[in-house]
Amino acid sequence: MTDASRAHADLELAERCRAQVPGAFDEVYRANAPRLFGLACRMVGRLDAEDLLQEIFLTAHRKLGLYKGESALATWLFRLATNLCLDHLRSRGVRFSQMSEHLDGDIEANAAGTGAILGVVDRLDLERAMVTLTAGCRAIFVLHDVEGLEHKEIAKMLGISDGTSKSQLHKARLRLREALAGQQSGRPRPR
Amino acid sequence: MRTPCSDIQSRLSLLADGDLPPDQDAAIRAHLAECAECRGLVADLQQIRASARGLGPVTPPDHIWIEVAGQVRLGSAPAPLLPARTRPSNAAWQWVGLAAALVLIATGAYVFRGTTETPASIVQSAGNANEAGSVEAVTTELGLAMAHYEKAVAELERIAKTDDGTLDPVVAATLQRNIGVIDQAITESRTALTEAPASAPARDSLFAALRQKINVLQTTVLLINQIRQGDQEGAARVAAGAGKKS
Repeated sequence: MTDASRAHADLELAERCRAQVPGAFDEVYRANAPRLFGLACRMVGRLDAEDLLQEIFLTAHRKLGLYKGESALATWLFRLATNLCLDHLRSRGVRFSQMSEHLDGDIEANAAGTGAILGVVDRLDLERAMVTLTAGCRAIFVLHDVEGLEHKEIAKMLGISDGTSKSQLHKARLRLREALAGQQSGRPRPR
Repeated sequence: MRTPCSDIQSRLSLLADGDLPPDQDAAIRAHLAECAECRGLVADLQQIRASARGLGPVTPPDHIWIEVAGQVRLGSAPAPLLPARTRPSNAAWQWVGLAAALVLIATGAYVFRGTTETPASIVQSAGNANEAGSVEAVTTELGLAMAHYEKAVAELERIAKTDDGTLDPVVAATLQRNIGVIDQAITESRTALTEAPASAPARDSLFAALRQKINVLQTTVLLINQIRQGDQEGAARVAAGAGKKS
């Protein structure tokens, strides 16, 4: 599908939703809910993610009139979902603006001494390790490494500098390395 | 002399991402050529990044769509998430209003009464391959639709059963009565459909009754949610909206 035909199809779908054509909003939900639920689970935790997913789609339904087709509908929904996740974290007391560009000394000191992770990182192990990150660090890791956003975009969304986004991502990866190494040391090694 | 590890480690993520400024690249690569620990660290950072990219979507539970669809249908604004779910104090007059509004739901339930079939509403299969195909198609569609409804009903019933006393007993009893009336309609329609599988009126009345049951269950779930979030006005709107729709 070309960009033009995609934009046309997305605008038409949004129009059908606004006109309350049966099945139209269902189509939007089915196509986007799994990705957005994954985002919400990783950003705010599974428990709050269920409420948040509802809020994302109800807000999307209310704001569909603002969708003009400049980006794919999936991208528009993803931005909306990300902003709601970040608002949710802020409402829980997370202060992105207080995150520092400097790394904690202990993380850097431990970095080289932690030892290599053996083999490919198991996805379930990674999901478990992500839970150990602070909310701010985790948000940056999810947006950059899982969702593929660039530091400039993340910095703008969080109201921080590019440098802070980069250093917090590095911090998140070092923490994950520690956690994954810890998980692997407690498990029998494959022969 | 080799650059100390501590001088370059903060930039190893940039290297792993391919974002390192060209003027720093040579010095860091020279360090890596001599330092196995930092090479191991870069390899690990790349592994973590690659694994993160592979984390896929997560299928949400069915009840989320049911609740979203219910709220969209009722046209109610999404309730904001609260820091903690608190149980509001009961306001007796509000419960009386809710119960009164919900009684309207039951009166709207459609009960199959053995509607007389018109020839056009019955699919005849004998001696006609195309029509026989239609019967098969209708039966398949019917099965799929029934599975869809029954799944939705089961999911909503599961949620509604988690109510731990949030609903006032009068309101809960009213909702339960409504469901009883609708279940009766479902049973009658099913019986009619068993006797005349190709009967469009029997099929329509069965689906109408199932939709009614979903409506009542959606209302129950919405009420529980609104009340748990302390939104008594929202609960009153849900009940009033449900009464109007039915």
